[in-house]
Parts: sequence; C-alpha cells; structure tokens
Amino acid sequence: MNRSTASLTRRDFLYRAAAVGGSALLLNTMNAWGMGIASKVTAPPALSGSGKGKKVVVLGAGVAGLSAAFELRKLGYEVQVLEARSYAGGRCQTARKGFSLQELGGEAQHCRFDHSHYINHGPWRIPLDHQSTLYYTRLFDVPLEVMVNENDHAFVYLEDGGPLSKQRLRGAQIKADMRGHVAELLAKTVQGRQLDARLSADDQMLLLDYLRREGALESGDLAYKGRNGRGYAVNPGAGLAPGAGTPSDPLAFHDLLAARVGKVYSAVQDFPMHATMFQPVGGMDAIPRAFAKRLGGAIRYNAEVQRIRQDAGKVTLDVRDAVSGKLSSVQADYCLCTVPLSVLRMIDTDFSDGMKAAIKAVPYAPVGKIGLQMKRRFWEEDDHIYGGHVLTDLKGINTISLPSSGWQQKKGVLLGYYNYSLDAIEVSALTPQERIEFALAAGEKIFPGYRSHYESAFSVAWHRVKYSLGGWAEWNDAARQNAYPKLLEGEGRVLLAGEHLSYLTGWQAGAIESSWQQIERLHRRASA
Amino acid sequence: MKQPLYLLAGALAFFCHAQALAQSKPDGKSLFAKNCAACHQADGRGIPGAFPALVASPVVTGAPPDAAEVLLKGRGGMPAFSGSLDDVEIAEVLTYARASWGNRAAPISGAEIEARRTALGVAPPNRSRFGNKH
Repeated sequence: MNRSTASLTRRDFLYRAAAVGGSALLLNTMNAWGMGIASKVTAPPALSGSGKGKKVVVLGAGVAGLSAAFELRKLGYEVQVLEARSYAGGRCQTARKGFSLQELGGEAQHCRFDHSHYINHGPWRIPLDHQSTLYYTRLFDVPLEVMVNENDHAFVYLEDGGPLSKQRLRGAQIKADMRGHVAELLAKTVQGRQLDARLSADDQMLLLDYLRREGALESGDLAYKGRNGRGYAVNPGAGLAPGAGTPSDPLAFHDLLAARVGKVYSAVQDFPMHATMFQPVGGMDAIPRAFAKRLGGAIRYNAEVQRIRQDAGKVTLDVRDAVSGKLSSVQADYCLCTVPLSVLRMIDTDFSDGMKAAIKAVPYAPVGKIGLQMKRRFWEEDDHIYGGHVLTDLKGINTISLPSSGWQQKKGVLLGYYNYSLDAIEVSALTPQERIEFALAAGEKIFPGYRSHYESAFSVAWHRVKYSLGGWAEWNDAARQNAYPKLLEGEGRVLLAGEHLSYLTGWQAGAIESSWQQIERLHRRASA
Repeated sequence: MKQPLYLLAGALAFFCHAQALAQSKPDGKSLFAKNCAACHQADGRGIPGAFPALVASPVVTGAPPDAAEVLLKGRGGMPAFSGSLDDVEIAEVLTYARASWGNRAAPISGAEIEARRTALGVAPPNRSRFGNKH
C-alpha cells in the first residue's frame, strides 16, 4: 500500500465518493462501513404506493409476524396471519397463573405463581439500543419499567475461583479492588521512572493524578487500602455505634488474579447490555397482546401450516387446525414466513434444493430458564440486592436473576437458571421436578434458606418447545456466508423474516427489523 | 485422639477419590441420558417432525468418521458436542447408540474420534461457562 492510500481518511474517501457517485454511492459506502442510516433503524420503512387488491399470508404471529402484518395492513394489503398456537407472541411468552406448556417428550407444566407474579421465560429485556422494539411500545402505550440488568451489589459466586472459591463476593468489591490494585501497580511503575520512555514528565504527573482518583490511592505512598465504594464492614450510622462505621479490607491482589475475576466482564458489560434496560410492566407478552388487539380477526389461531406450494401466480398453504384436525387450504399472492428455520425445515415445501439446504444450515440454540416463586424476598430483605444478576460458574446455572418489579412485596419470582447450549441440553433431560431440585441445590449454595423459601416453579427448554425448536438462530461463519444471503432473498412469492435473518439474533429487535426490511423487499416485488 | 481422626480422614479421602474416579469413567448409556435423550428420547425414537430417530438411522449406524462429524460439528438443529465431550466420551456415546434399540453397528474408538477432530480442525473440549445473553 502506498503512502497516499494509507493516509486517505474516511472523510476524504466519502467526499470523493460523493463527488463521483453522488449521494447514493455516499450512502451505500457509509452503510457498508456500518456507519450509515441503515444501522440506526428507529421506525418502519416509509413505503410509497399501495398493496390494495393483493393478499399476503404471514406465517407465525411472533413478534416478526405481528410487526410485518401490522405494517403491511397500513400499506393496504389484505393480510392473514396463520399462527399454530392458540395465542400470539411466538417465543415472546410470559408464564403466570394459568399458563401451560408441554415440551415435546415432556410432561405438561401448569404455572401456579401467585396473582401478579410471572416469569418472562422467553425474551425478558429491551435494551435502549433497540429503538425498533421501543417504537412499538411507545406507539401502543405499553407501559415500561426499568429492568435492573447491572447491579454490582449482587453476588458473584465462583465454584472455580481459586482462593476466592465459594464465597459470596459482591461485584462492587471485585471491581473496586481490581481497579485499586492495578492503579497502584501502574502508579508505582510511573513513580519508579519505568515509563519515562513512553510518557512525558507532564503526562506522568497527569496520569498519577488520575490513578489516585480512579484507584482511590493514598496520595503519599500511592497504596490501595480499600475504598468505601466496595462496601463497609459496618455501615456508618447514628451515634457512637455504628457511628462512623468500620471500613472493609480489600481482597488481596493475588487472590483476585488467581480467581480469574475478569470473567465477570463477559456478562453485562457489552452492547447492548448497558443501562438503560427496560421491561414491560406485568410481563413481556404485553407486546404481542398489543399487536394482537390491533390485528384482531386477521390472525387465525391453531393454524398449523403443513405444506407450502407456489406457482407463477400464487402461493398455496395447506393448513391443519391444531384443535379440530380439520384440513384446509389458504391462497395468497405472497407469503412472508416468520417460522423459525428449525421448524420450517420440517415443513413440506417446494423450495429449490439450494434454498432447502440453506434453511437446514442454520443451527438453533438450546436454551433453558426456570422461574422460582419464593415466599419471601430474602435477596432484598437479608442481602439488600434489588434486581440484577447473581453471576456464577455453577454448572448449568449461569445466573440467578432477581426481579425488577414488586420491590419490598412479600413474595417474588426469580430466575433460577439461564443456560445455553450443552448445559441447556443436560438440564432439559430432567423432569420438571428434577429441574426444580437442580435449581434449588445450586441456589442454596449461595443463599441460605433458598430451598425453604421455595413455593412453585415453571421451567422451559426452548429446543423442546413445539413450533419453536430452539431459543434463537445460532449462526456460524460458514452459514452466514453461504446460507444467509440466500435466505434473505427468499424464493419467488415466499419471503422469510425473523430474528434469524438479522445480526440481532435472539432479540425482539432482530425480529422487528428483519420484518421491516423484508416487507420492503416484498412490497418492491409486489409493485414490480 | 488425633491419630485415629487422621486415619479416618485419610480413608475418607481415599474413598471419595475412588468414587470420583469411578464416576469420571465415561459410560455410553449415562452420557446418552444426559446429552441426547432430551431430544432423541431414551428409546432413540426421537419425536417425528422435530427430532430425528436414531433407531435404524443411517448416520448413527454408518461410517465412523461421518457419525463422529455430526457430534463434533453439529447438524441442523443439533449443536456440536465437541466443546463439552472429549473424544473418549463421544466414542462411548456413539458406541452406545450404535448398539442399542436394535442398532447393530460396530463400536467406535476414542482414537477414531480424535483423528476426525484433528482432520476437521475442531478445537479440543473446553468446559468453560459464564455468560448472559439476550
């Protein structure tokens, strides 16, 4: 590469691209770099023209199918949604009293939580970055509340944490102490003149000033001796006792290193897990309910699609009524299929071999969750943890998450495990009763009395749920390269949409934004 | 008084160690119950329309390298088991499925799995856990 190319800045390049190719080339270039308007989807596409006189059948009343149907109807299309379940939402489900689920090969579970208690066993959080999901919650007046996704007062409990194994650490202790020790090390390195070759004398002074503040170092000897942000041994209060309180001692640098506490940063530090995180008041299914209310009779429930055929003029879907067993057939000009690929691969279609292979190329994530109703909110009352996640390496548990609603009430439903891949498979082999025992045995290592407070449970293993067969699409590089473009293109009069056709897999925003993109493609095809 | 306690602790430690060793020996049937039965069912018949049957399955009873590849790399909705099961465990569970429910295919050795793992460039098992997705 010669010098002039290497020194060409993005801005220079964009300026030249605009000069040569006009604004279209400019926008395409920006989009290709992931810095353009396409990466900030905050509203459905503004489409011109009309779909009047044309019928679209949408397969699946999950979040993808619902948002597509809602937008297509606005364009004038006649829309019918075929949903195999008796309710809308797809994987967006909330288990509360009266909700039932029977996994394939499993026994039926009936949720018996007390009134107003629930678990979102599907999607459970809405990041601030997901403006597409937030577009609909705002439009439909779905009330939101903050979901406490990061809480450094919650415990970190490591089975395999070297010298810190099997202790109830607080996230804040780990972070404050690691920061303090590392700041001390760096400050002393500066003071020992070991960074003279890298930093000017002025910058060294500025860095020392920064490290004293960031690491709470003693100003004289630059030692870290703890900071009150990690918590007191005895909190300050009134009078002489507790009076000024008793500071706590930091964890030793070596112990923290040997415990490999860096792994706590793999949890909720990255995009899009940062604050602010939301949840709908009363359960995530408020979102599909809001859609379903507006779509009314356009959704046909208990409609299990068994066969998809298309010719030059139409798409024909053979449907079995899941309740009566009655067979019927539905015709439309176009079909938008939002059925998960794990399920679509089992449906009889006349897709080309290449398309069928692409559908089969995408693995789905085994995922499991369990909600446990506790008769006392011991995590709040005894341990002063209000929402957030207890992070743990206990096998098959991953996180114990505390509810972000119902503060200081008597009871609460917590998430007892949230496992993926092979852990999820192992736990899913257990009966509902054995899963409860598994969750309680782990939880009581961290919270004494966990078991004695337990009242009832509801668990799910998404890979065993009919019509879902997995938590979300788990793409690999080869499938992204080969299958993804093919699936995005669809075939003839059938287009696909869903979280699986996004880079936001497993998120409702992925489902919505994929639908927004695919209805634009469908509308273009229908208008051609 | 101290000595007998020491001895008792020593004996206990030995007993626990022996038990742990006995437990760590891979056994195809229990590996199957833990890793496969949730979907393919304990009787290997699967669930039509969702999970393929392993009974009389050409993949299960076919050439060892092909059967190994399915477990090492995953297939369709099934994830790869290469990260959590080692080569001997994969061999044990495949051997079990190949000789159960009427299947009559020859056993597979850990060495065969290892060779396939190397040929496919699949990383060795890594049993690490910690995450918080979606």
